[in-house]
Amino acid sequence: MLSQQNQRVKTSVRILQFSIGLLFLIILGRLVQLQIVEYDTYSPLSRENSLRQEIVNPARGLMYDRNGRLVVDNEPIYTITVTPATYDSKNTPLLAKLMDRPVEEVEERIQEATAYSWYRASRLFTEVDFSVFSTIQENIWELPGIGHQIESKRRYPVEDMQASHIFGYLREVSEEEYLQSDQYNLGDKVGKSGLEMVYEDQLRGEQGIEYSRINALGQSLGSYDNGSIDESPVKGNDLYLTIDSELQTLAEDLMEDKSGAVVALDPENGAILSLVSSPQYDIRRLSGRIDSDYWEEINTRTKNPLYNRAISTRQPPGSTFKPLMALMGMEMGLISPQTEVNNPGYFYRGRRYHDLAPKGDYDLGKALESSSNTYFFWLMNEIAEEKDINQWYAMASEFGLGQLNNIDLPYETEGILPDSSYFSKIFGEGVWGVGDLISLGVGQGVIGVSPLQMAIVAATIGNEGYRVQPHLVSAIRRSDGKVTMTNPEKQKVSWIKKSQVEPVKEGMRRVVTDGGGQWYANLDSIEVAGKTGTAQNPHGTDHGWFISFAPMDDPEIAIAVLVENSGYGSISAAPIASLLTEQYLTGEINRPYIYDYVKDFEPKEDEDDDENTIMNLGIE
Amino acid sequence: MNIFRDLNWPAIMLWVGLFIVGLIALFSATQGPVSEFLPDHIKGNFMRQLIWTGISIIVLVSLQFTPPRTFLTGSYILYAICLLLMIVTLFFGREVNGAKSWLSIGPANIQISELMKITTILAAANYLTSRRNISAENLKNALVAVLLIGIPTVLTILQNDTGTAIIFLTLIPVMLFWSGLPYGISLFIISPAIIGYLSIIGWYWGMAAALIITFLIFLLQRRTWLTLASLAFGALLIIGVQIALYQVLQPHQLDRIEAFTNPSFDPQGAGWNVLQAKTAIGSGGIYGKGFMEGTQTQLRFLPEQWTDFIFCVIGEEFGFIGAGLVTLLFMALILRILNMAGKNKHPFAQLVMVGVATIFFMHFFINVGSAVGILPVIGLPLPFISYGGSAFLTNTLMLAICLNLDFYKRELSIYR
Repeated sequence: MLSQQNQRVKTSVRILQFSIGLLFLIILGRLVQLQIVEYDTYSPLSRENSLRQEIVNPARGLMYDRNGRLVVDNEPIYTITVTPATYDSKNTPLLAKLMDRPVEEVEERIQEATAYSWYRASRLFTEVDFSVFSTIQENIWELPGIGHQIESKRRYPVEDMQASHIFGYLREVSEEEYLQSDQYNLGDKVGKSGLEMVYEDQLRGEQGIEYSRINALGQSLGSYDNGSIDESPVKGNDLYLTIDSELQTLAEDLMEDKSGAVVALDPENGAILSLVSSPQYDIRRLSGRIDSDYWEEINTRTKNPLYNRAISTRQPPGSTFKPLMALMGMEMGLISPQTEVNNPGYFYRGRRYHDLAPKGDYDLGKALESSSNTYFFWLMNEIAEEKDINQWYAMASEFGLGQLNNIDLPYETEGILPDSSYFSKIFGEGVWGVGDLISLGVGQGVIGVSPLQMAIVAATIGNEGYRVQPHLVSAIRRSDGKVTMTNPEKQKVSWIKKSQVEPVKEGMRRVVTDGGGQWYANLDSIEVAGKTGTAQNPHGTDHGWFISFAPMDDPEIAIAVLVENSGYGSISAAPIASLLTEQYLTGEINRPYIYDYVKDFEPKEDEDDDENTIMNLGIE
Repeated sequence: MNIFRDLNWPAIMLWVGLFIVGLIALFSATQGPVSEFLPDHIKGNFMRQLIWTGISIIVLVSLQFTPPRTFLTGSYILYAICLLLMIVTLFFGREVNGAKSWLSIGPANIQISELMKITTILAAANYLTSRRNISAENLKNALVAVLLIGIPTVLTILQNDTGTAIIFLTLIPVMLFWSGLPYGISLFIISPAIIGYLSIIGWYWGMAAALIITFLIFLLQRRTWLTLASLAFGALLIIGVQIALYQVLQPHQLDRIEAFTNPSFDPQGAGWNVLQAKTAIGSGGIYGKGFMEGTQTQLRFLPEQWTDFIFCVIGEEFGFIGAGLVTLLFMALILRILNMAGKNKHPFAQLVMVGVATIFFMHFFINVGSAVGILPVIGLPLPFISYGGSAFLTNTLMLAICLNLDFYKRELSIYR
């Protein structure tokens, strides 16, 4: 009995020791698995645990005007971020209290951030007040997963200048763009229009990364390894612009409350001195936190302020097309400066084409001065019958009409310049004839140009035959100081001859001294040459045009002005171009009454057929 | 008797080795760079543990001068006193971390359930050895013993201290087994734990275990009714676990289970502790990150790193060498105690030693098993290593009683 019991004890000890030994081996095996086999899995995990990667956004490149004046700058804004993976939703009420926001709003934003990424930090609130920012910073240890960031937004130091359509605005990167490119983080801003968009790659710079050690509560314990593995950000490149801030400010002032556009450029090289599209949006209200009410407003306003009329609109050039017609007529051998055409008050070809100029005989100079339609209807008729519409097309397109001129802004239009195939396309093969072409002679009908294109036409005539490349950026300075000049091309219009340009320039000079420009466009100090125009508008009051260059012999500025629904160009567009020319060439305005006239100008809604009557009223 | 020859010095050295490792880990976990983020009362843990270690040494030594029969004769009265204090704790106890198991006696806070472990072992051992052997036919004595252990189990559950209750429960099969319960029935008693554990991982594992256990029971016992009962019970258990997992358990309870089987499922919620614990141990590698150099420990990524997760501190800072050493120290100590039991002629002494070894082992297995992610996080301290005065003192007392019974083993057997 006793020995049997002893046997039982011995067996029991062995069984217990065996079972326990087995379980110990399981633990040891598990330790081997975790610490030796899976070491490579857990080691980086523990490192990442205690390492925080912070993205350091680079300073976006600045912009300077042609005189070296800073026109686009950065200023700090304070941002609160959330990393949903480490955020505890129990803290939402505290966060909302510190932020001074409703709990629901905070919850909603955290949900949005969670939807984007569980592990990456997303912006929760941008542009918070510095005091709120400091409060969050002080309490950050209570809020694991909440981070703070100092970012920047655009600042525009020239107070009265907007230049919205030149600079453009930035928007936070869309979800689509974020997924497509690995260069962006959520909440990064990217240029969506203007230079900000075209030069996005230059301006953006390269983001840096800072590593810091944190504990489980998210408190930062200083930089990791003395910042040896940090990557410092590379500042974006600076742009040197061709615009003249003072001229731009004046142009915006003059175009205020009007609808239309101004393009002023240097006829020597195509440098844009001023570019205004009116109405424009308030660039400062789009620079920082998205002001959704304002965004809504500018998107629904009838005269879309986001639309860049200076380069995107297509309007018939009206009589401003006549100088180009004269040049082409001479080159085709159909007219000489001395050719005379009789104006009986209309031109007849199948029907009567109206002419407002006084009856009488017109040579080239007089036809330009008084803007005789008969002369150019007749010339177009000659071209259509004796020559070919395609030759006309080829010659006009060398002036940049119907073409892209590759300005460094988005959404430039080609305009419309018809050739025979274009007519066949819209009217039908063989259905169209000379009658459809005649109105092209006075810049009406199937033709559409942008103010930019007309400024180039003016410049090309002014510089006697060189088509310039319009551009806004003259140089790019990298963060290391290296400067790259942009290299705009200048191309000789192949067919143009000095002997042809001179009478046209003379005629344009007479427009300003004796013709439609004499009241508002003539300057004592500077020889200005120009041409008025009125674009027929089937939807309402006609649009007024004026193109000019000055000084006449060696022009330094070429301007095209379009004022929509303003009636005749001579009373609406001409004074604006004149004031800008005066300001640019003399540095001041000596005709305050013209300035006041432009500021008080109200587009006429009623139409009056007699141009002279209106001009006479205007002078009083 | 010769104190050099008869005292179990290897066991004592293992005990010293464990508490020295414990003090090192506790120092790192509370006095290292991490102390910056710790409240003052936790920073004081190290000093308090030093004091408790001193007291425990004195207790261990002085207990060797106690006549061994005292434990036998005093077992019921000590059991009754502790049971009374347990009930008092239930009403007047202090709640710490959700468990109402602390009683303030004068300046000291004592966890009565710790002392209850010792007295339960003594009382159950006394009862079981004063009866005839338990057989498959005569289970009446076994039921009384189960009751002796069951009452403190229920009381600890009422104190909301599930971990300690599990410890009490495991005493039942081991002590009954030692007292002569047939092997087959012993296996039948522990089979729910094995089958249940494996069913959580996958029902097919549970099924495999149930079949193997049934087969073993058949081989050992050759009783048709027991075999069939085992099979039916195993199947019911698997179905029950599946229903519990997918129908009965509340989402947050399920989260804890899910966190254990798949911690990366919810790295921020219930799985966070498990993932951080595994990361700490895994990132320690073979040699560890060095004393007070563990980032998981020092940057406060570990929860309760001075008690329930202290093994992670060792694993992270001393690597596989440190963690393996601690495991081997425990294994050596427990196997040593079982050896002492095998050499002791007195059944009471044997049973006490087996009970103590079981308690030490279960604490180790549950604590380390939680830390390495093979068991759900239950929250039990690691004996001699985790911070905790009453636990350290109780564990030392248990060891001291074993040493005493071993030291006086010849004297004890004379009275038999």
